[in-house]
Amino acid sequence: MSSSSIKHNGSAGQGKARPVSEIGPPSISGINLPAHLAKLAQYKDLIWTLSIHRIKVRYKQSVLGVFWAILQPISMMLIFTFVFSSIGKMPSEGLPYAVFAYTALLPWNYFSTSVSNATNSLVSHAQFVTKVYFPREILPITYIGAALFDFGVGSILLAGLMFYYHIPLTLNALYLVPIILTLSCFALAMSFLLSATQVRFRDIGVAMPLLMQLWLFATPVIYPLSAVPQRWRTLYTMNPMVGIIESFRRVMLTGTPPDSRSLLFSVVVSITLLVASYVYFKLSEATMADFV
Amino acid sequence: MIDLKFNNVSKKYRIYHEPEAEASKNILRRVRRTLHRNWNDFWALRDVSFEVSRGEALGIIGQNGAGKSTLLKLLYNITAPTKGRITINGRLAALIEVASGFHPDLTGRENVFLNGSLLGMKRGEISRKLDSIVDFAGVSAFIDTPVKRYSSGMYLRLGFAIAAHLDPDILLLDEVLAVGDAEFQSKCIERINKLRRAGTTIVFVSHNLGAVESLCDRVLLLRQGEISCSGPPRYVISEYEHMLTQTPAWSTGVNNKAPFPAAEITAIDFFNSEGSKTTIFATGDKARVEVEYVAHERTDDALIEIYFYSMFGNLHTHFSTEGNNLDLERGRGIVEFICPELPFEVASFKVEVSIRRRGSSFNDHIDYKHAVGINVVRGKAVHGSFHTPHSWRMKRLASKESDEVEALVKKTD
Repeated sequence: MSSSSIKHNGSAGQGKARPVSEIGPPSISGINLPAHLAKLAQYKDLIWTLSIHRIKVRYKQSVLGVFWAILQPISMMLIFTFVFSSIGKMPSEGLPYAVFAYTALLPWNYFSTSVSNATNSLVSHAQFVTKVYFPREILPITYIGAALFDFGVGSILLAGLMFYYHIPLTLNALYLVPIILTLSCFALAMSFLLSATQVRFRDIGVAMPLLMQLWLFATPVIYPLSAVPQRWRTLYTMNPMVGIIESFRRVMLTGTPPDSRSLLFSVVVSITLLVASYVYFKLSEATMADFV
Repeated sequence: MIDLKFNNVSKKYRIYHEPEAEASKNILRRVRRTLHRNWNDFWALRDVSFEVSRGEALGIIGQNGAGKSTLLKLLYNITAPTKGRITINGRLAALIEVASGFHPDLTGRENVFLNGSLLGMKRGEISRKLDSIVDFAGVSAFIDTPVKRYSSGMYLRLGFAIAAHLDPDILLLDEVLAVGDAEFQSKCIERINKLRRAGTTIVFVSHNLGAVESLCDRVLLLRQGEISCSGPPRYVISEYEHMLTQTPAWSTGVNNKAPFPAAEITAIDFFNSEGSKTTIFATGDKARVEVEYVAHERTDDALIEIYFYSMFGNLHTHFSTEGNNLDLERGRGIVEFICPELPFEVASFKVEVSIRRRGSSFNDHIDYKHAVGINVVRGKAVHGSFHTPHSWRMKRLASKESDEVEALVKKTD
């Protein structure tokens, strides 16, 4: 046993500044967002390690490995393409349906995978939550990190499809940065909201697949926005995913800038919801271990 | 300098009574019933205030359910108090076994990184300490093997070794001395002592009164969620022992027997050296157990066995009449178990007695009575885990050298 290194560890604590923490009953006034974010930043190594771990574990001992990341959106694309070419014709704004659908399925899958997995993250890590202290939001965050990886892998295929169909990439593709950021914020907000609620009401987890399915059909993924009747448009665009998915497809496939009004709406909703859901999460975090 | 401060801390748990299983077809009614479930409020801690100074080692003792674990959970920020405030001055870590967080498919190395960062270590810090962690756990040869191939001992040791390499200002210890073999335990104790010498503040929760006494500067005794007393270890531990003698032991429990047993145990009583009935003994006391039975038919080749279990249900020891010919005549009788010097350390024990036929299987008893309890308090000092009757003898060894010395002394005279 290398006792020398242990001795070193034992005395290393003396020089460092000692953080002072206060723990009290959970209350809105006790939520100090900058302090929580600073704490979260201290744990960035954990966020990184856990996200990598998710990716590794998922593909360890699977034959297809990382190919699974593409298989999900690609199979959905093939199914919808088959259905809408052999049974009924689905308008796709003059684009080949396969690439039209895939371009929306890619961000959609990022959203639905991260939210579905993150929702269950606290319950499935009960052994961590009841044993060790760390900012609990790390658990849902890492699932979003892992889904982002899949999104990256899936993007390679999108590039391939665009090349195959001779769809040029324009400078407007730079809009992808705010679009993906907004999407991530929204996914994070939903994950905080649902995972914290799932700790107390397991119904959330059971309802998840149904919720995601309904949400998919309420978003212009497999059909264009133009197919939605005008009189329902206002209600329809209340769904923040509409602005995000529609903008994503527009900047990628038509090379035009996104509809600023609907994208802006999604940005505002996502950020507001993120702050609110984080506060809610932190409030419920305080006694999470008693329920999980 | 105060490192830890509990200021009128209370913790309430709400225990819900699940609505009856009878499934109502009416979903609305089910939802309403779930929302309006009955509950009891249970105060695990009530108005607890104390302080721990820098470099001090505080012990926390008390019976199961006294609030020790709740107190640790609050300290470690796993759950928040219902009332009151806790102030922590410094980085706090718990020396707990984290192997339950291991992922079986990942290698030992990957798991060290995963769990190390879960405990708040930086990647660089883990890389630096990796060799020492692996060494501490004694799994060097298997560090790149998936942990699902590990033995359960390796698993636990590795989980514990990670936590042992944290470098906190305040260290929480929860029954840590129960992991691994003797060699590993001594490593852990060595590690704790090193941290202590380095001035780390320690909070130690344990049932092992000997360990508490030797490690701690001060002890808190919890009773039903409140601090019952606090002070120097010796004083508080004897208060606790006194409290144990006041607490009634388990009463004679459930019958667990065949429908028409050939014989039945009708009473189990404990007597001390003065011959009076009691359930409180000091270590080293003479104890006599009377097992009263009634045999409904002649039962040849009977075996009477007595089991001593810890409060956690591990078997401490077991004695049987194996080797003595015990034929139970029809009628009532008493079998005595006599222990000249009770070997147990200070703790509570559950005692179970069974009658079975010699050669029958372990579970195939004629009658089985359990949950008679005894409390063992401080008597003949036990700092380990048992006492045994013993004696010391001294012998001088005559050696050539001593003869020469004697001779030399004579000469100079």
